[in-house]
Amino acid sequence: MHVTSNDVSLSRLRERAGERVAARSDAEAGTLQHAADAAPSPAASRQPLPQAGEAKASGLLPSNAIPGRIDIWVFVAIEVVIFSSYFVAYMLHRVWEPALYLESQQQLSQHFGAANTVILLVSSWLMAGAVQAAREGRHAAAQRQVWATMAFGGLFIASKLVEWSSKIGDGYTLTTNGFFTFYYFLTGIHVVHVLMGFGFLAVAIHQMRSPARRSIPAIEACGIYWHMVDFLWVIIFALLYVMR
Amino acid sequence: MSRAPRAAGLAARLREQWRQNPKLELWLAWWTMVVFYQIFGIVFVLMTRVMPPPKPWWEPERVAQWFADTHDGLVWGFGIIFLISFMAPACNALIGYSMRRMSVSPVFAYSYIAIYSVSAFPGMLLAALLLCAGALRPDRDPQIISWLYDAAFMTFVGTMGLFLVGTAVWMVAILLDKNRVFPLWFGYLNICNLLTEVVVAPAWIFKAGPFAWNGVITFWIDTLVFAVYTAVFITLLRRMTVRDDLREGPLPETPQLATTASLRF
Repeated sequence: MHVTSNDVSLSRLRERAGERVAARSDAEAGTLQHAADAAPSPAASRQPLPQAGEAKASGLLPSNAIPGRIDIWVFVAIEVVIFSSYFVAYMLHRVWEPALYLESQQQLSQHFGAANTVILLVSSWLMAGAVQAAREGRHAAAQRQVWATMAFGGLFIASKLVEWSSKIGDGYTLTTNGFFTFYYFLTGIHVVHVLMGFGFLAVAIHQMRSPARRSIPAIEACGIYWHMVDFLWVIIFALLYVMR
Repeated sequence: MSRAPRAAGLAARLREQWRQNPKLELWLAWWTMVVFYQIFGIVFVLMTRVMPPPKPWWEPERVAQWFADTHDGLVWGFGIIFLISFMAPACNALIGYSMRRMSVSPVFAYSYIAIYSVSAFPGMLLAALLLCAGALRPDRDPQIISWLYDAAFMTFVGTMGLFLVGTAVWMVAILLDKNRVFPLWFGYLNICNLLTEVVVAPAWIFKAGPFAWNGVITFWIDTLVFAVYTAVFITLLRRMTVRDDLREGPLPETPQLATTASLRF
């Protein structure tokens, strides 16, 4: 899901980077922990065409590299395990009361769920573009794309509020039955993740704003978090809205 | 016969540590924290049978029966907890120190200590007081005993805001820190623990199912995440203490001072 340099020709990136990397300040360092590691070394930043080993440090990734640091991937793995346990609990209760869950599920609008999914997928696509732009040194464009990502995230939350209001108006609340408890719980805990995602996006913009920061791993970590939120929603959508 | 010299050797070593170890306070705090969590586990799991919690849907008579069945465990167990509750702040002190050792503003450490200074109350003392009251007043109306039971488990499992904000403070400090006191992944792991504090909220509403106070999501998954998180932070606090050179700036990856390394417990 994460767009890396797998999708963009490395040679094209090198050409672009050759113009921009040389102009970078030697004082480049991040504000987040370990950000200093991410900043190109003075020697590397003067190379017009970074070699494979230097590619990541200058904002480019060799085709076989994984974006971000291991730390954010550890977090993603743990989050996926925790959410998977919620999904298993939901599936078990669904198996125990199939008629109730099927009947309740039909009260949800698949169109609404699909629209939610499209909104988040677009936001993820924008964030991937922002990370790529940051790698290429196009920080103004990257910031615009992160703002757009935020806008779509806001649209997602607004649409969830509308959907919840509509369901509560129809008399389906947290305590109506087991299905609706899971519905409000899973969508609610996911919205909490989206809200925290705004914090990550704000960090990404903060990183991009000043040449003294611009840590690519930090920006990638923000992107990876946002993609995780998108990924989790796709599963929630499949489980709650689609699966019959 | 052969044990005497070894015992004397151990006593001499401990005396030497006490007098010369520059990290004595840190090690005392760390060991106090470890001992506290061990006793906490024994009391809450084995003696009082509060973890895993009994059923939330029991009628008042069954609740009164539970108090009668676990009377001795509740009284003795929570007696121990009241006695060792002074040990709980050692953990907060060491975590507060970890933030003072970071490159971040002292506001983080002081906010954390201030927030967590009252954490023992919703975290264990309130439940202990209520359950002790129920155990020591068996002659009261079962309806009243049942109210104590509900209040005890709702507060024990369902309290969240305090721990949520405190964990968030620690998380932000770790992510901003340049002294590498903790690995970055542990900063992110705080998010997982923080979210468990949100997940427990439905325990106030449901009496049965996965979201009740003994539910698979509200109690079991949350407790598992919390146990892993606690084991990780105890390990990392030990590692921090070993690495600490008692100076400012980045923490060395391995102990820098030979004397400090040789004197560690």
